[in-house]
This record gives sequence, structure tokens and C-alpha cells, in this order.
Amino acid sequence: MAAPVMKTVRGWSDLALGVRSAVLRLPGLSQVRWSRYSPEYRDPQIDKEYYRKPLAEQTEEQKFELELRKTQLIKAAPATKTGSVFEDPLISKFTNMMMKGGNKVLARSLMTKEAWGVLVHWIPWQTLEAVKRKQFEKYHAASPEERAAIERNPYTIFHQALKNCEPVIGLVPILKGGHFYQVPVPLSDRRRRFMAMKWMITECREKKPRRMLMPEKLSQELLEAFHNQGPVIRRKHDMHKMAEANRALAHYRWW
Amino acid sequence: MCPDQESNQQLFTLWDNAQHSHTRQGEAKTVLFVILLTGPGKCSGWPFQSTGIMLKGMRRLISKVHKLDPGHVLHMGTQAPQSLAAHLDSQVSGQSPRAISRTSENDPAKHEEQHEGQHYSLPLQDMKTIFPHGLPPRFVMQMKTFNEACLMVRKPALELLHHLKNTNFDHPAVRYVLYGEKGTGKTLSLCHIIHFCAKQDWLILHIPDGHLWVKNCQDLLQSTYNKQRFDQPLEASVWLKNFKTANERFLSQIKIQEKYVWNKRESVEKGSLLGEVVEQGITRVRNATDAVGIVLKELKRQSSLGIFRLLVAVDGVNALWGRTTLKREDKSPIAPEELALIYNLRKMVKNDWHGGAIVLTLSQTGSLFKPRRACLPQELLGKEGFDALDPFIPILVSNYNPKEFESCIQYYLENSWLQHEKAHTEEGKKELLFLSNANPGQLERLCAYL
Repeated sequence: MAAPVMKTVRGWSDLALGVRSAVLRLPGLSQVRWSRYSPEYRDPQIDKEYYRKPLAEQTEEQKFELELRKTQLIKAAPATKTGSVFEDPLISKFTNMMMKGGNKVLARSLMTKEAWGVLVHWIPWQTLEAVKRKQFEKYHAASPEERAAIERNPYTIFHQALKNCEPVIGLVPILKGGHFYQVPVPLSDRRRRFMAMKWMITECREKKPRRMLMPEKLSQELLEAFHNQGPVIRRKHDMHKMAEANRALAHYRWW
Repeated sequence: MCPDQESNQQLFTLWDNAQHSHTRQGEAKTVLFVILLTGPGKCSGWPFQSTGIMLKGMRRLISKVHKLDPGHVLHMGTQAPQSLAAHLDSQVSGQSPRAISRTSENDPAKHEEQHEGQHYSLPLQDMKTIFPHGLPPRFVMQMKTFNEACLMVRKPALELLHHLKNTNFDHPAVRYVLYGEKGTGKTLSLCHIIHFCAKQDWLILHIPDGHLWVKNCQDLLQSTYNKQRFDQPLEASVWLKNFKTANERFLSQIKIQEKYVWNKRESVEKGSLLGEVVEQGITRVRNATDAVGIVLKELKRQSSLGIFRLLVAVDGVNALWGRTTLKREDKSPIAPEELALIYNLRKMVKNDWHGGAIVLTLSQTGSLFKPRRACLPQELLGKEGFDALDPFIPILVSNYNPKEFESCIQYYLENSWLQHEKAHTEEGKKELLFLSNANPGQLERLCAYL
């Protein structure tokens, strides 16, 4: 249905920069998630290694790709995607979800990068640093046999904790016969990741003691989730139990 | 002089030292240092004869190194004697050697240029006595996390140590001012100096942050001694407590030379111990500021007698001549000289006494009404402060040079502080260098979350 409309639109985009004109309102057709770029624009390739590969190592397709990119139009890279070796897409996503009102500076400083002019120096201002320091404390207090088991890398802890929080099966409200039933449904990967992060953030925001700062609470929750304990894991288990209980309704799902 | 010639000069002096050094450790260290300094292509600039002599002599030294037991060579880093020989055999081919980040020389008095860039550790017990206050808060966190306190030996501190070792105690006290950009290591250099002086048994008068005395004072009393001035009982009593911890043994040796009357019923007689004055200040908080004033006056008077050496270390000395944020009851601002603590401290920092040294640090963080970019003495001290401190020896503390940067990264890697997998790679190190611009403070904050 939308396809023929798109074709006519493409005819219009002979304008200079290939940017779609704003006059695109058609009755009965609302676009969700549209982009100012027309379809011939390619996504930018941020990875430095891709360009550094010597000519000999590249396969035919990759050589073709490279040649093609020289003539194609490429979208601008978003400001948050850097070519840094330390970049982690999951951390960026989490920071974005923690952000309130567009205050990325604050969200980032709570999560990773510390702000230079912060007045309170004597407590770790960032979650990752707090996680690291707690683990180091445990490491030094532990005996040599236990030391090998203690994980000190905040990134592995973060990834593992969120993976532990991901539900396997989810519930979806389906309208049947005038009533909404909670039907167990398989979730896609990105939905699961989203749910894990969302639960983590809501948990830390709502159940926080009054004077405790977010990094401290988050680091606490992350460490508990890493060990498969804590309120977020409990919520995941609750979700699983509900899905198990509503097993009979599974045939309400039609997809 | 072009840099190549300069480095050749350095190499030659080192080479001379190597020839004449008597200790085996010194020889081994100089050998390692020569390897470190000699980069690609430097040998070609030399006349062939000296290169030949150098290499022949190095082989002689290497044979001596082989006779050393590994224990001697181990503290210099992870290079075993075999790899030393391998290095030489490859005709000093300029591969970058593993950076050495630690030294076992824990006595600041023995720190020389060869230790530059290396970390030495301070015993944690000493840290509590020498530094009850005055360490940067992030350093304290690092101490707690690593369970050890390590300072890097850097050029400004070495320069200052050299000056202090050659002070003439009959001349008036020399003022040294450490200045530099934010985060370059002024406070930690000051701590290095204080550790040295504490080891040499000097009396240490350490004011951790001058800015704390000119802002956020909750209780300001009118001074009993002089109606125009103001007392700060809390700050003064806290400082006296820390002063007592740092200089326990001197408090029972120094006797005051004048009678001081606290109020109608209490007074301190001439000839009683300084410890008594300090106790009075700690217990009776109302008289704490006056107690501080007495302590400063007596110490200044008696340091000239030669019983002890006095080190006046003030961090954030630009607070003494700036503006304050404190106000009187009628909301009119108070100038710094109207605060009794500041007034007495200014007298201390004047160079009209002898028998010690004055080491000062400028600081923009925490300063009041000064632009963020200001870091030079003239900008931060203002005309009044500069004239009061003139003449002084300025010592610039700058960012890490490549060797120090490598050493710092190596130190973090040894303590497994850098946990990110990519931080161990060359790419990661280059990125850290770029992001921090070799600024010690920034680097520390970067490595905290990696």
C-alpha cells in the first residue's frame, strides 16, 4: 500500500540534495519513523578497521563495496557514534534510556564519563567506577583462592547483569471477547534487551533511598543482577511465572 | 642547540656516569637508561669512534650485569638480564622498551633524575601521620582501592628537592611557588616535598587548602584579640587537630617564649610547651583562632634559633590575597585581611625569618572570582599577592611527558586498574593520550571507568 506512494515520492526527490520535501502529507497515510534521507543514502561505516584492511586481504565483494561507497551518498554519522575503541553500543543505549529531558551530559556522567568540574570528588560519580571500586574492595578482602572468581571488569559485569535480567518469554495483552487477556508470547532480542534495561532503570529510580545517588544504587543493582539475585531478577522470574500460569491462553496468539 | 645534539649530550653525560659509577645497581640502571634514551638513528649522528667505544664499554657493563643476581635487576622492571643482552646484540635498534613504572627507592631524599617518571610507594601508616589532611580526595580514593599509596617522581618535585637539600638556613626563607594548569599535579608534588621534609625531621606547617578558610564559614565570631578581625573557630580547631597529628613530637619539645592570656581566668605562662597551646585551641573552640595565631608566631620566632627546621606548605595560597564570599551581619563583604587566620598566615608567608623554607601552590579550582583559564601567578595572585610574594622561585608543573605517561599507564596496568580489553592495546593507549592530552588529572578520571 505504501510502496506505490513511495515511488511517486522518489520522482520528486530530484531536488538538489535528495532531501525529501516537507510537502508529503497524504490523507490516510501517516508515516511512522521516517527519515529526512531518501532511500539511496547509505549508512555510514564507522569502523576504522574496515578502511585499514590492506587491499590484498579484501574479498571481491568488499572491494566492490569500497568502490561503490566512493560514489554513493552517505548519511551523516550521529554524534553519539564515535570511532573510539572504548565505545560500547549497549552502554550508549542504556545511557540514552537513563537520559531525562535531553540532558545527555548528566546521563553520561552518571554512567561513564566524569564531568571535570564536579564539586563532589570523594565519592565515585559514575556507575562503572563505583562497580569497579566495589569489586576491587572485595578482591583485596578475599583469599587468594577466591580472587580468581571475582570479576573486576565493569563492562563484563554490566553485560552479564543485563543478560541475566532478560526475560525469555513475555506477556502481551490481547483483546478477545471484550476482555484483555495476558497472553505469553516469544520476544525478539531487541525487545528483551529493552525490557531488561527498562526494568533496571525503573527499579533504581523508584526504590532508591532518599539520599542515595543513582550511580551507587545502579552499581548495587548491577552487582546483584550479575550474581542472579536482587529485585530485577525477581521481576524477571515473576514474568516467567505469570507466563507459565497463563499457558492455556497461548493459542490466542495468531502470529 | 638542536634536540639531537642535546640528547647526545645527555647520553654522553650518562655514559660518563656509567663509567665512573661505583655501585652495581647504578651501572645496571644507567645501562638500562642508555638503552631507553637511545632511539632510532641517534647513533648515526655520532662520530663512529665514540659509538664503537660506547658499544664496547656496554658489553663490559653487560658482563657485569650478568654477574648481578636477578634480585638486583628485578626492581628495575620486567626486563631480565638476558633481554638486556639481546637488546644490545640487536645494535640498539630502537624498539620501544617496556616502561618501568616502579622504583624501590622509597626515600625521597635519594630521588634523582634517574627515578624520574617512576612511582615510589609510601607506607600507609606514615600517610596517616604525615597527611592527616592535604591529599587530593581522588588520591585518597585511589589509595583505598589499591591498598597502597604511590607517588610519581617528577621533574618539578626533583627540582624543588634539589633546592631544599641545598638551602642555607642562615639566609631568609626562600619561597617556591608551584603553578600550572588544572590537574597537572601541583598538590601531589607538594605532598612529595612534605614527605621528604617529614623524613628529614622538619616541622611541617601544612595548610591543605587556603580556599577553605575564605568561604562557607558558618560561624564567624568577632575576634577577642582584635575587634576589627574575625575568628573562625571550626576551621581553626580542625586544623589544630591535624597539626597535632602531624607534628606530635615537636609539640613536647618547643617552649613558648611569652605569656599569653586567654581570658580573665586562663592564661599560658612563658616557658610552657607548645602542646598546651594546641590543646587549649582544640578544647576551647572559641580560642582556636588565637591559638593558631600563637602557634604561627612562636614557630616563626623560634625557627631562627635552629632547634628545628620549619616547612611552611600552603596549597591554594592565592586565597590569601583574593576576595572572600563571607559577609558580615549587615551583608557587607569581608576582606581576607579581616580574617584572623588569613592575617596570621600572611605574616608566616613573608620571608623575614630563616631556618626553613616556604613552598606554595596556586590553585584555580576552589578559587573565588577568578576565571577558569587563569593559572599563572600574576593572574591568580593579583597585584597585591604578587607584590607580597615577590621575590619567589616559580616552578611550572606541566602535563606528563611521553615517558611519564607510559609509566602511569604501566602503573595502572600493574594494579589491573585498566580492565577494558582494548586499554591494553596500542590503539587504546593512543586514544587515552589523545583524550587526556597527557594531563594527569584527566587521565586518572578516564582510567577510572575503563
